[in-house]
Amino acid sequence: MSDLPTTPTVSASGLTLRYGGTAALDDVSVRLGEGVTGLLGPNGAGKTTLLRVLATAVPPDKGAFTVLGNDPGTTAGRQEVRRALGYLPQAPGFHPDFTAFEFVDYVAILKELTDRTARHREVRRVLDDVALSDVRGKRIKKLSGGMRQRVALAAALVGDPGFLVLDEPTVGLDPEQRMRFRELIARAGEGRTVLLSTHQTEDVAMLCHRVIVMVRGRVRFEGTPAELTARAAGRVWSSTERDPGAWAGWRTGTGSFRNVGEPPKDADLVEPTLEDGYLLTLDGEASEVAAA
Amino acid sequence: MSTVLETPARAVEPAHPSRSWAPVFALARFEARELRMTIPLFGLSILYVAWIVWDTTQRQGDYPILQDVDRATPGMPLLIGLAVMLGVNRAVLRSRRCDTDRHFDVLVVEPWRRTVAHALSIVPAVLFTAVCVLVQFIWAALKPGAAGHGSPAELAVGPLTVLLFGMLGVLLARLFRSVFAAPVILVLLLFGMLFVAPSSGSNWTSWLGPVVTESGSNPLPSDLLERPAAWHALYLVGLGLTLAVLAVLVSGGRTTVVKAAIAGSVALTVVGVVGQSAGTPAGSTPARDRATNAPEKVQTCLKRGGSTYCAFPEWTGRTADWAEVVDRVQNLAGGSAGGERLTVRQRIDATYGLTSDTLISPSTTPGQVTVGTSWGGNRVPEFAAAVASVLVAGNEKAGSSVCDARMVTIMWLALGGESDPMTALRNVRLDDSVSGSAIVLSPTESMSMSAEQTRIVVELLKKPRYSVAGKVKAKWTELTSPRTTTARVAELLGVPAADKSAAKAEADGDSCAE
Repeated sequence: MSDLPTTPTVSASGLTLRYGGTAALDDVSVRLGEGVTGLLGPNGAGKTTLLRVLATAVPPDKGAFTVLGNDPGTTAGRQEVRRALGYLPQAPGFHPDFTAFEFVDYVAILKELTDRTARHREVRRVLDDVALSDVRGKRIKKLSGGMRQRVALAAALVGDPGFLVLDEPTVGLDPEQRMRFRELIARAGEGRTVLLSTHQTEDVAMLCHRVIVMVRGRVRFEGTPAELTARAAGRVWSSTERDPGAWAGWRTGTGSFRNVGEPPKDADLVEPTLEDGYLLTLDGEASEVAAA
Repeated sequence: MSTVLETPARAVEPAHPSRSWAPVFALARFEARELRMTIPLFGLSILYVAWIVWDTTQRQGDYPILQDVDRATPGMPLLIGLAVMLGVNRAVLRSRRCDTDRHFDVLVVEPWRRTVAHALSIVPAVLFTAVCVLVQFIWAALKPGAAGHGSPAELAVGPLTVLLFGMLGVLLARLFRSVFAAPVILVLLLFGMLFVAPSSGSNWTSWLGPVVTESGSNPLPSDLLERPAAWHALYLVGLGLTLAVLAVLVSGGRTTVVKAAIAGSVALTVVGVVGQSAGTPAGSTPARDRATNAPEKVQTCLKRGGSTYCAFPEWTGRTADWAEVVDRVQNLAGGSAGGERLTVRQRIDATYGLTSDTLISPSTTPGQVTVGTSWGGNRVPEFAAAVASVLVAGNEKAGSSVCDARMVTIMWLALGGESDPMTALRNVRLDDSVSGSAIVLSPTESMSMSAEQTRIVVELLKKPRYSVAGKVKAKWTELTSPRTTTARVAELLGVPAADKSAAKAEADGDSCAE
């Protein structure tokens, strides 16, 4: 794949992690640079496991990685990685009786922001960034789901981390909230490395300059969104009936069928999308692992 | 994971020391604020302060004995400790309950340092308790009637109990991930403290609990208590630290310092346990025997007016109060009694320490009056009754067996000089009545007065003092004679006679046969 980050801030090589007999990560190697990198994959592909490994929540069985030049294999290195880390876990937990300010302040303390005045200034800044200034004194249990998710993002952003790990941050949000969240993530990606795990190909299309697709614990694609879309060029066609030879097909709003796979000779080819490329990348053993 | 594959493009120099304690203190402050605002602790703290204000303003506490005051301080701190235990336990488990562990576990401050912060968050509650205990004690010590000495070790028990329960709450949260574990263990602990561990401080196992309450009906000089309070304080400190360090160890803090700390705290605990193992002596000791049987060997005697006042060293400041009562009673007496040189001696039964409750036998020494270690409230008219009985009967033994008409004279002497004699009469009688027959309390054996004697005394107390005093002084010999009847006493003192049936009954009673 082209356009690999020449100045990676996060590098991982041969990461392997097994849960019992199942390989959650199987010889995964990735390189991330500044900007937002999307991590796509079906359920059980190992996305969350990769994120947790890179966030130092669990050590890999094999392999190594560095974050901003720090090796988490040592205690001191792990601490440095954590100092540079912002983490928004999948379905994050909250302390419901805390106010938004208190919760982010609490996280800031755990990130070793100890000067009270400076810390409170930083907490106000991130809450302002995620547009929660007005409700910072409100208890979290009284906030909407979207607001809570923004509190979690603020907690991840506090301390201006160099590496931001976001695990499905837009799940459960309505379209407006999702759009708002995309704005926040896009802004967060300016000047820092963001790894965004998602099921939403639109998120990747709109936010990411690079994308990684994982399947069954392995990286099946790593490149730009355009490259992933290009994988579907000439492999998406329209028909009046569902084409039985297609790998996937569905009726569209116009009544015609959109088919993805190997088209017949006289197929009516249409412009592919990122989702088409993603679906084709998931298609069994036909696709090559395109990791760098 | 030891191989670094690439030369980093953007290496960040560590901006922090390898392991700073500043975040731990910052977190401890945050958690302390949260803990303070928990409903049980907040409510109990308010209640504690209110109780101290109420308690310190009660008149029955006007003559506090400081070695009893210090021992009474851990009651409310025990409740504060339980609230701290439950509060800090919930705080430690908060991350688990709210599923923020997944997030917080990848933050810089590791779980074991967060445990240290939780342990430190208890400190303000401990300090608050210490301040409350000190205020309570100092308030008592500053009262003019205060006597005795407080023990810093006894005063430390309250705050240390809060520390101990707090640390237990932290440890339980690290051992059991359920919020129900701490309340269940708390109930078991209370059950153990109430029903399994003996309440007597003489048993070494009772000293394994945080608070060893030993109270008696009469205060003792502080040197006779012989409680291993300092060892117990050391034990509580050691145990509290052990629990805290264990919690840190369980949550992953396996540094050399932590391991050394656990060895040190266990050693402190063991030394404390060994030191306190003898407990409070249950029986006699040389000091107790001396104070009980030969108090003159340890007492200081002071002369005030014509009388001598002998007190244990911690009570010498109270002789002025005794002298005031003696003077008041003697001023009303006639004959030679008004100028009799009395010896007021403090007497106690300390044979079994605080558990002693034997009644002091009345003295047979002429002119000697017994006074106890308590003062204020009912003790004042009781002492006055004892003084009056000695002036009338010659000695305490004889005075305590008076049941004839002399009781009228004794009771009027004892109460006639009081500012509120009717209340004093009520207080000195066992049944708090001002009519009918009743037992009259005194520092030694009680006396008794009949219904008619009571009627006459009440009538006398209603009259102006000077009008009765003249008659008492003028008729002193007859009034203090065991042969004088109650009817005759009434006549001598100008009290109208009772109806015939009452007079008949009283005449029978004059023989002291009833």
